[in-house]
Amino acid sequence: MNDKNANGRNAWDWQTEKKQIPVKEWESQFNWVEEPHVSPDGEQVASIVNSDEAEFSICVNGDVWEDTFEKAWSLKFSPDGRLAVLAANDEEWTVCIDGTEWESRFDYIWGMTFSSDGSYLGAAIQQDGEYGVVVNDEPWESLYENMNHFTLSEQGGSAAVVQVSSMSQGDIDGFAGGLFSLAVNGEPMPQTFMNIWDPAFDSQGKHLAFTIRKNRSDYSIFQVDTAWDQTFQSAWKPAFIENDTSLVAPVRTGGKWYLYKNARPFWSNVYEQLWQIAVHQEKKSIAAIVSDSYGKWTVSQDDRPWTNHADQMITDLSFSEQGDTLCALFKTNGAWTVVANDKPWDLGADKLWKPAMDATGEIVAARFEKQGRYHLAVNGRVAPGDYDMLFDPEISPDGTKILIKSITGGIYSRQVLSVDGLI
Amino acid sequence: MQDSTIENKDSVKTDVIDEAVERGLERLTPERIAGVINQVLAKETGARFKTYIDTCMRCGLCADACSFFLSNDRDPKFSPAAKVKQTLTEMLEKRGNVSKDFLKNMVRIAHTECNVCKRCSMYCPFGIDIAYMMLTVRRICHKLEITPLYIQDTVNSHSATMNQMWVKEDEWIDTLQWQEEDAREEFEDLRIPLDKDGADIMYSVIAPEPKFQAGLIYQTAVIMHAAGVNWTMPSNPGWDNSNMAMFTGDFEISGRLAKAHYEAAADLHVNRIVMGECGHAFRSVYDVGNRWAGWRMPPIELVHAIDFFHELLTTGRIKVKEKYKKSVTLHDPCNVSRGRGLHDKAREVVNLLCDNFIEMTPNKEHNFCCGAGGGVINCGPPYKTTRMINNRVKKEQLEQTGAEVLIAPCHNCHSGLEDITHHYGVDMEIKFFGDIIYEVMEKTIYQGGV
Repeated sequence: MNDKNANGRNAWDWQTEKKQIPVKEWESQFNWVEEPHVSPDGEQVASIVNSDEAEFSICVNGDVWEDTFEKAWSLKFSPDGRLAVLAANDEEWTVCIDGTEWESRFDYIWGMTFSSDGSYLGAAIQQDGEYGVVVNDEPWESLYENMNHFTLSEQGGSAAVVQVSSMSQGDIDGFAGGLFSLAVNGEPMPQTFMNIWDPAFDSQGKHLAFTIRKNRSDYSIFQVDTAWDQTFQSAWKPAFIENDTSLVAPVRTGGKWYLYKNARPFWSNVYEQLWQIAVHQEKKSIAAIVSDSYGKWTVSQDDRPWTNHADQMITDLSFSEQGDTLCALFKTNGAWTVVANDKPWDLGADKLWKPAMDATGEIVAARFEKQGRYHLAVNGRVAPGDYDMLFDPEISPDGTKILIKSITGGIYSRQVLSVDGLI
Repeated sequence: MQDSTIENKDSVKTDVIDEAVERGLERLTPERIAGVINQVLAKETGARFKTYIDTCMRCGLCADACSFFLSNDRDPKFSPAAKVKQTLTEMLEKRGNVSKDFLKNMVRIAHTECNVCKRCSMYCPFGIDIAYMMLTVRRICHKLEITPLYIQDTVNSHSATMNQMWVKEDEWIDTLQWQEEDAREEFEDLRIPLDKDGADIMYSVIAPEPKFQAGLIYQTAVIMHAAGVNWTMPSNPGWDNSNMAMFTGDFEISGRLAKAHYEAAADLHVNRIVMGECGHAFRSVYDVGNRWAGWRMPPIELVHAIDFFHELLTTGRIKVKEKYKKSVTLHDPCNVSRGRGLHDKAREVVNLLCDNFIEMTPNKEHNFCCGAGGGVINCGPPYKTTRMINNRVKKEQLEQTGAEVLIAPCHNCHSGLEDITHHYGVDMEIKFFGDIIYEVMEKTIYQGGV
């Protein structure tokens, strides 16, 4: 769960009515300006800009970083408002944060990820053809010949699936023997498997679980330090529950999907599909996206499927901070909408982003695009006005205000509105 | 054209040594063989399978539809019904108690003598889907671990990297940035936008593009830029839309790949996915992998390149400076013609681009498979000689057009048709639609608004 105060929301300017920055003007100053990114507090809008051949920099609120780069990509604001980019000069890549480069240099770097409070920044790296992870400018000491599924814990721990033995081309027996392990903070676990997918940390960042394939047909779950004895036809990403002492995982057996807990059947319902588990530890509530009849999708909370269904897709299942509201995005007949606690909104959106919720879950706000225009919806009501572009809304800690970050007519606007005026 | 008498210099080999199949067979016991066969046939099939088995009356109408049958002097054992009889019928009759020699033969038939192209189904009076039957045989091969080596290695790559060619994560991104840089020679502000959240289109490709044919990504970037398309490509796994697991009966990996593909698109909040010129990949995410995952239809609109190019050309987003002059013919990839009905649109695209189109016979949904499809080419060098013999009818079909250029909007088809033209000495250049569009288009940027 995010600690929103740690992200500084209380310290943000929740009083100013409107601040504007003319971003369209930047286009006349550079060869091209890439898509804008906005800080969580809305005070900064930034883009990668190009001034000449192989000359990139970052423009923030109209000011350009002193350093230029031959290449730059993956511009992102951290949750605590720092601006980071992956950048290269002389074919050496690094991370540059707020204009200051890390000391470490790599042949390549990608997959930039933040912990939810922004204090840890991790990325995948390649150096001399070997692969690893860097967190806060500290690269792994051991590197590997292949690496996937990098993940970062809230406490700055890192894990990734690594290839620990070489394989000659076409050595399918070697592959079946298990070439892959999970490296945690750079050190591989002793166990190897044919495949490893989807590593998940517990909330304390102490333990890991992941999906494994033991042979071509048998899948299972690895929990902390051992693999479940049971094998299944397939399995998806597990999740720790109950203060990290237990683990649940979707597994397929007999052509159907079940939720197992600690290697035993847990939910009694059987599903056509079951994935993307959301957990609220304090409420002891577990939810998942499920298909309870073929081609029909819904959310099951504590094994109770919702009444509303989507015929195409459900994404972004999440609890509010206190666990009273469970939200997901439903797509039916090509149109997206928010469904909160099994209550659908009437949006008909072409594109829809994960909603913001206040701690209680009483205020739910989502941005969406419809027929090329962006809108904001709060608690199911579409707020007046539309925008050329709208960024993720933020709700004030007391739940009374919404920060709207938008661009219209080439002007970036930061605006704080009263929730009461929108619902 | 070369003298076609060279076509009979080889004979179909039934004694191909495939290490993976040989080693897999060594490990099997009679109990395991019967157990797996009976488990798959009893537990993983249903009414459709039983109906097909019970309905086929060996009328032989499927035989003339099969390019293997025609390419092998109408040898009855190459007819689709005979392939079922030599594999599934015998397994059913013997209740799974079949020999290792039988299994070796079965692997060859199911994996290399059927393109699962579904042409025969169109001629069957009952519409029996032989492709489904052969894929059931391949499922048994998968569960017995006797899948041919090369295609199994491809599936291993899929499972470990989510792409079929062991392309590492940095290699993928680096290749896109390299192509972007090169393409700026033509448009100085051209971009291949990576991870652009909220773009209209996610463009996906198959792994041979970054691995061997990066120029195709360059061409696409030029087309997208000129057309003013709001597009993106994902930096994360999910960018590869290919799926050989679908053809080895490894449905679990097949579904996992389709899930990764759609999740990549959902994470980017795009309206639709446009995929490059590949047929099997389309089948994988439109018809197979998605359905294993539980999506009856694609959860995000999926557009094949033929459809997309048609849209760009007919809406004026791409303008033709001067039509292509060489005579061209068109190969209809099975998975987007029989599988999706794009053959008429493909012809409209040809005629918008080219002055001199020569129709192939038979054509459209009746066209023959390239001979490489269904994972057959992916079974690799051990089977190549036999594949060439089995492709004789396709070679004759190509030659009869007399065209200088063959357009094949599918990667597998491209590779297979190149093998045919090289093997038989057919003087024909093979191109993608993207190659032709790139060559004839006006290199100006569409100003009509996004």
